[in-house]
Amino acid sequence: MNSFANRFSTTDHLRELKRAQANIEDDEFSDAAWGSEAGFGSLAKGVPTFSVPAVPDPSAFLRLHTDDHADPKCRIKIQHGTTTLAFRYKGGVIVAVDSRATAGSYVASGTVKKVIEINPYLLGTMAGGAADCQYWETYLGIHCRLHELRNRERISVSAASKYLSNLVYSYKGMGLSMGTMICGWDKTGPAIFYVDSDGTRLKGDLFSVGSGSTFAYGVLDQGYRWDLPDEEAQELGRRSIYAAGHRDAFSGNTCNLYHVKEDGWHFIGNYDISKLHYDGPDNVDGAGYGYDVRVGTRS
Amino acid sequence: MSRSYDRALTVFSPDGHLFQVEYALEAVRKGTCAVGVRGKDVVVLGVEKKSVLQLQDPRTVRKVVMLDDHICLAFAGLTADGRVLIDKARIECQSHRLTVEDPVTVEYITRHIAGIQQRYTQSGGVRPFGISTLIVGFDPQDTKPRLYQTEPSGIYSAWKANAIGRSSKTVREFLEKNHKDDLSRDEAIKLTIKSLLEVVQTGAKNIEISVMESYGKITNLDLEQIEAIVSEIEKEKEAEAERKRSRLAATAASQASMTSRASGGGEEPAQ
Amino acid sequence: METSFALTGNGYVIVAADTTAARSIVKMKIDEDKIKTLSSHLLMAHSGEPGDTIQFAEYVERNIRLFQIRNNYALRPSAAASWIRRSLAQSLRSRHPYAVNLLLGGYDTAEDQPHLYWIDYLGTSTEVPFGAHGYGSYFALSLLDRYHDPNATLEEGLATLRRCVDEVSKRLVVSPGKYKVKVVDKDGTREIEF
Repeated sequence: MNSFANRFSTTDHLRELKRAQANIEDDEFSDAAWGSEAGFGSLAKGVPTFSVPAVPDPSAFLRLHTDDHADPKCRIKIQHGTTTLAFRYKGGVIVAVDSRATAGSYVASGTVKKVIEINPYLLGTMAGGAADCQYWETYLGIHCRLHELRNRERISVSAASKYLSNLVYSYKGMGLSMGTMICGWDKTGPAIFYVDSDGTRLKGDLFSVGSGSTFAYGVLDQGYRWDLPDEEAQELGRRSIYAAGHRDAFSGNTCNLYHVKEDGWHFIGNYDISKLHYDGPDNVDGAGYGYDVRVGTRS
Repeated sequence: MSRSYDRALTVFSPDGHLFQVEYALEAVRKGTCAVGVRGKDVVVLGVEKKSVLQLQDPRTVRKVVMLDDHICLAFAGLTADGRVLIDKARIECQSHRLTVEDPVTVEYITRHIAGIQQRYTQSGGVRPFGISTLIVGFDPQDTKPRLYQTEPSGIYSAWKANAIGRSSKTVREFLEKNHKDDLSRDEAIKLTIKSLLEVVQTGAKNIEISVMESYGKITNLDLEQIEAIVSEIEKEKEAEAERKRSRLAATAASQASMTSRASGGGEEPAQ
Repeated sequence: METSFALTGNGYVIVAADTTAARSIVKMKIDEDKIKTLSSHLLMAHSGEPGDTIQFAEYVERNIRLFQIRNNYALRPSAAASWIRRSLAQSLRSRHPYAVNLLLGGYDTAEDQPHLYWIDYLGTSTEVPFGAHGYGSYFALSLLDRYHDPNATLEEGLATLRRCVDEVSKRLVVSPGKYKVKVVDKDGTREIEF
């Protein structure tokens, strides 16, 4: 499938990979001999290569050893449960995520950074395999910077997301698992693209990804409109993540909130979801988001 | 390993020249002339067309080609080499749209073409492209016309107006003398034709003009339109010559009268 | 569930596709355009494996455009269908085949005839008076057998399409909400408010 798309594309990364391999075969001295890999190691040359397990079907092998639904005893457990959301409105983009990492039924961490700061104008969110998202979105950051240096202008959100989508598409069926939103501000204004490891890439105004996404959508869709004031938009993002953290067992702990404006992204804050439940974002006793807190004695 | 030094055809001469590249430039100088002129919001490409033989189909000989909706290219030098380079550039234009979603910028495709040309000066078993190119167009979401040039060595540069190919030096000097910033569409076309007439003796039938006015809006002038402009230019030239002649005659006359006055003649010369 | 229809009429082809992009039980997007305009007189509706559809459709789009720029004329619908079918057939025999189903509607300006090709991911290509992909096809094909008229006017054609859409939303469990409808005729392609 890919060999064929590559025939005409010289900018794509698989071609780069081949070129990099050809370089390695051709060069008598690797760049390392000159100490010029600039700290990137194998990243300096095209796409890094992985050692693939020496089995006929690597993805089936991976599935066998990672799928905790089929076999709870398997040793490798991949971080899965998550709630992430992003929406676009007149004041920019709001990005909100939870911070829980689960491996099987075990909460591995409650302080995970699920927003990946690709560069001062681009954010990526993390759902699915934590390592996959972290690694490939950092890798995307390198290429965004190279684009900037080569073309003397910042990469558009559309181009950056397309780069990522083409990248993960070339690994389709090999076990990558990511569901990410690339959010940013470029010449065309605020933009969000949903990219996942199937190779799907969608432009849109409002997305939520992860096991808690349905709960987040429930709050988000009802409160969303284009001309939200900044304060209300941030509140909506926070409240939607709270809702998912409350209802979804695999999401929770804290909520990280970002706001992307014309001058790049701003970190708004980190909120404890239990605190949000009882006291709300401003720590006022009884101003919490929780149903019983909100309804009080009326129920 | 032994293969590292003996596989390149293009090697330095002891005094630091790459002869193959310089010969390629020579091939460019033998090619038909091409001119590019950038106006205020228009960019014009003009090329000298070889006369078509009696039984030849003129449509199959094209020197100005489209790379993408918004980019045109003209070249001077070996036509066959041009075809190969153009095809590579066209593929890159579509490939760029496929991978980045946006159309290429004029500078990007210029850099790509120059990059290919450079590669052919540093790889084994190949010879450099015997062509220079002029690349014109508009960047997406932009109104500024662009004009770039590439050379066999892989150098590329941006210009207000430039010429490549046969007698390009003469034409460039003419352009340097006559180019102004912010030329209108008609002025830019006229300047292009005028500069081409410096080297094309046979007139309109051997000139091909392409005009790009905004993103994706390209028109090729037909023979009548070019002929009209050529005759206009010729008329101007004649008028200019006429004026010169009369001025010359006038100065001659005044000089004659001065000498005659100095020698004692009394009549005022008529102006 | 993904559904696309297409039907020919008197001098035109109508191509319609739903506009939802779903992932498991969630609709991620409800205004996705699944009909590509490949050239001035050629439309292609694509459905199938997410990722593959867009990648293949864009690959086709760019190659059709490249052909046009190289040769100064566009591929006729029959030629485009052959090229696309061959591309799919080649990919089917590669390590990662594209799982994409297509409806290719075009207007041949040389012979003034509309053409519709039904192409599936196995590389089957056949010229049809009407066609459909997805779950909707189980309802629409019999309906079109009964009501399709190759000489229908555009209004009549759209009315037949309306029957298909209504039937699918009446009987299919999770029927698509909105459809995008495009038409190609002698004047080129255009979108129609449906």
